[in-house]
Amino acid sequence: MADEDNGSNLQQFKEGVLSNNPVLVQLLGMCPTLAVTNSVENALVMGAAATFVVVMSNLITSALRNLIKPHVRILIFTLTIATFVTIADLTLKAFMYKVSLQLGAFIPLIIVNCMIICRAEVVAIKNGVGRSLADAFGIGIGFTLALLILGVVREWLGSGTITFPFADPISVMPAAFTANGHNWIIMILPPGAFLTLGVVVGISNQIRARREKGGAA
Amino acid sequence: MSFGGLIAIFLGVALVNNLVFQGFLGICPFLGVSRKVDMAFGMGCAVTFVITVSGVVTWLIVHAVLTPIGGAIGHTEALYFLKYVAFIMVIASMVQLVEMYLRKFFPGLYTAFGVFLPLITTNCAILGTCLYIDMKPETQHLLNAAVYAFGGGIGFLVAITIMAGIREHIRFSDVPKCLQGAGITLLVAAILALAFTGFTGIGK
Repeated sequence: MADEDNGSNLQQFKEGVLSNNPVLVQLLGMCPTLAVTNSVENALVMGAAATFVVVMSNLITSALRNLIKPHVRILIFTLTIATFVTIADLTLKAFMYKVSLQLGAFIPLIIVNCMIICRAEVVAIKNGVGRSLADAFGIGIGFTLALLILGVVREWLGSGTITFPFADPISVMPAAFTANGHNWIIMILPPGAFLTLGVVVGISNQIRARREKGGAA
Repeated sequence: MSFGGLIAIFLGVALVNNLVFQGFLGICPFLGVSRKVDMAFGMGCAVTFVITVSGVVTWLIVHAVLTPIGGAIGHTEALYFLKYVAFIMVIASMVQLVEMYLRKFFPGLYTAFGVFLPLITTNCAILGTCLYIDMKPETQHLLNAAVYAFGGGIGFLVAITIMAGIREHIRFSDVPKCLQGAGITLLVAAILALAFTGFTGIGK
């Protein structure tokens, strides 16, 4: 029984990261995905904050699932999420002030990130704490992974660097790329965000279609 | 502030810093509800309405409730940690209020908006605009905040209507299979965002 439970939890975790990835497959939580992926550092911090919030909100919701009346559930989800977003926001302001300035309004905007409400509604309100936590970690890491892919592509092509949190930018392009303003500034600007996400969603669709075909044959 | 200043705020937020193309707000309805022009237009109108009302009310919450009470207990910013919870409560109840008001006094408009009204609560364009009004120095006065919120709503309306117009035509074109749906919409949005970048510099 316990083994079976572990198996299904692991399955739930894997689904969140790959086959049910919130950004690339479900197309949820698009606003921060587009807005904060102009550098790897922002993408990772945003991913960590969203993971924290989805884990805590799933934990609270599934622990209280027998007490929550159906008609007020959305309100309770929103208030729970808003509370943990406030905690995440104040923590970032205290320890990573520069990054929190760059992310700006997008940390408080985690409150209305449909990915998190969706997990509370679809999983946490119906399942036990263990399964809800596995799901939350899967979704959070899947979200971070998608942000990381976009962040690497956009920062690499846009500024010719890769910046990890708490570290200096690492130059990954020849010096001639950034000299004379030859770098593709458009990749850091809004059009580059839409372009990169469009291409990445297309590629992930292609990979999934091919895998399904291979599985059937 | 002068009339010209208000016009500058309006154009600045509606075109130059368009919510969708420059601010990345409201992307979910922008992708989800932009299949048909009439639906997109209805969504845009509903958002404009709610954004203006909640922009004004959240401005009042910060300047007429949280700041004076905070001042009374020692520090004007003492209660600012309540901002996010207060904002989302205001938006959720504004949407409810607008829904009830429309159902009672404008039943025609109510049926036209349909399911879009309740969905607006989780539209990040609304909360985003309220947060920007709270952060920006030029929205210190109530009138400026109202114009800013209204301009943001109009910007969203313009963006989603243009997108729906383009998508109605894309239906007849031969899109690669892996890009159908969200992929091609995002690529079109990239080109539109490029076009809106051309507005940069107006009103400065």
